Amino acid sequence: MRRCEVVIRKAVGLHARPAADFVRKAERFKSKVRLAKDGVWVNGKSILSILTLAAENGSVVVLEVKGEDEKEAFEALKAKLEDDT
Amino acid sequence: MSDHSGKITVGNLLSEKEKEWDLQLAAGGQGLDNHFIVTSDINRPGMALAGYTGVFLRERIQIVGSTELTYFATLSNKTASGTVRRLFGLGPPCFIVTKGLDLPSIWLEEAEHHSLPVLRTTMDTTPFIHRLCAYLDYRLAPENHIHGDLVDVFGVGLLITGESGIGKSECALDLVDRGHRLVADDAVKVIRRGTGILMGYSAAKTSFLAHHIEIRGVGIVDVYGLYGIRAIRVQKRVEVEVQLVHRKQGMDYERVGLEEQLSEILGVRIPRVTIPVVPGKNLALVLEVIAKNHVLKVFGYHPAKVFNKELMRLMNKSPRIDPFITDDQE
Repeated sequence: MRRCEVVIRKAVGLHARPAADFVRKAERFKSKVRLAKDGVWVNGKSILSILTLAAENGSVVVLEVKGEDEKEAFEALKAKLEDDT
Repeated sequence: MSDHSGKITVGNLLSEKEKEWDLQLAAGGQGLDNHFIVTSDINRPGMALAGYTGVFLRERIQIVGSTELTYFATLSNKTASGTVRRLFGLGPPCFIVTKGLDLPSIWLEEAEHHSLPVLRTTMDTTPFIHRLCAYLDYRLAPENHIHGDLVDVFGVGLLITGESGIGKSECALDLVDRGHRLVADDAVKVIRRGTGILMGYSAAKTSFLAHHIEIRGVGIVDVYGLYGIRAIRVQKRVEVEVQLVHRKQGMDYERVGLEEQLSEILGVRIPRVTIPVVPGKNLALVLEVIAKNHVLKVFGYHPAKVFNKELMRLMNKSPRIDPFITDDQE
């Protein structure tokens, strides 16, 4: 299991478009992906779940990846979250 | 919607119920944010005022009404100040004075000295206690987030679970199309009320974000926009879990309905029905039957048991031949 905290650096936060990008990436991996904000955990492969976090610019999100391909998944998804576009 | 972390500060209580309960801060405002309420039970400190502090429920809110204050007025000045000092020293989260009563100045001085909040309401004691306990029971309820959909089907709260992509959302949309009501898609917030009731809400932070469904290939669908107010609900009791699973060879599924599986959520057990998903299956129809079956069982009629009982009666006795069939010459 891999876990890290990421500060969201996207001008309008983690809105529908970047969230969809994240989910598309996450679904390519077999590992379980979870995201958390303010202690609330949601499924990282579900667009609506991620949007319920309403993670604004500057907020801290926890990424957790667990499974057989977690190494690659973790790197790829962490990069997606850290991406500032 | 408020969070349910199992504790709130006295400041939270004051800001959330200030208007509704006519609550005011009487003294000890410094302690509003570092005094926590962790239980929905309350205490009336009569025994402590009378001098007995062997058992004092210090984690509870202390409600001071006219009984306490009338008794307090009978004490001599010296006894009174010692009593109040001892009471504040016990360190409850806060005191709340009801009926808009005025507290003797020594209470207010001690409150400031200990930075221990004292609130005042104009409400009568008993109705206030009832409202306070109900509110705290809701506010302090344990909560859990569940990956699934919650739909009100014929008045029964069905929690649809199963792995990603199995068709939970499509199933929920189909149910809405048939006239049922969506509470939450994808992320359901469940809290426990009292000892045995689970209430489900959308995990979305605003009611606008709730009531959207993701349909693969289409995107985010606005259920309120498409179906109107009749298609949505803000909250619903969670009564049955319907678990959707991929049909696998060699796996056992319930064939009669006599055996009942249970799911445990926040320590509350609810019936669980496992449905194998195969292409072409009308899941919404199956879920409607699950809901109606549940209502029948709640009413004391268990279809599978009644069926089996009748079957056993037939096997044990000589067969009863229906005259309608024997007399029919056609």
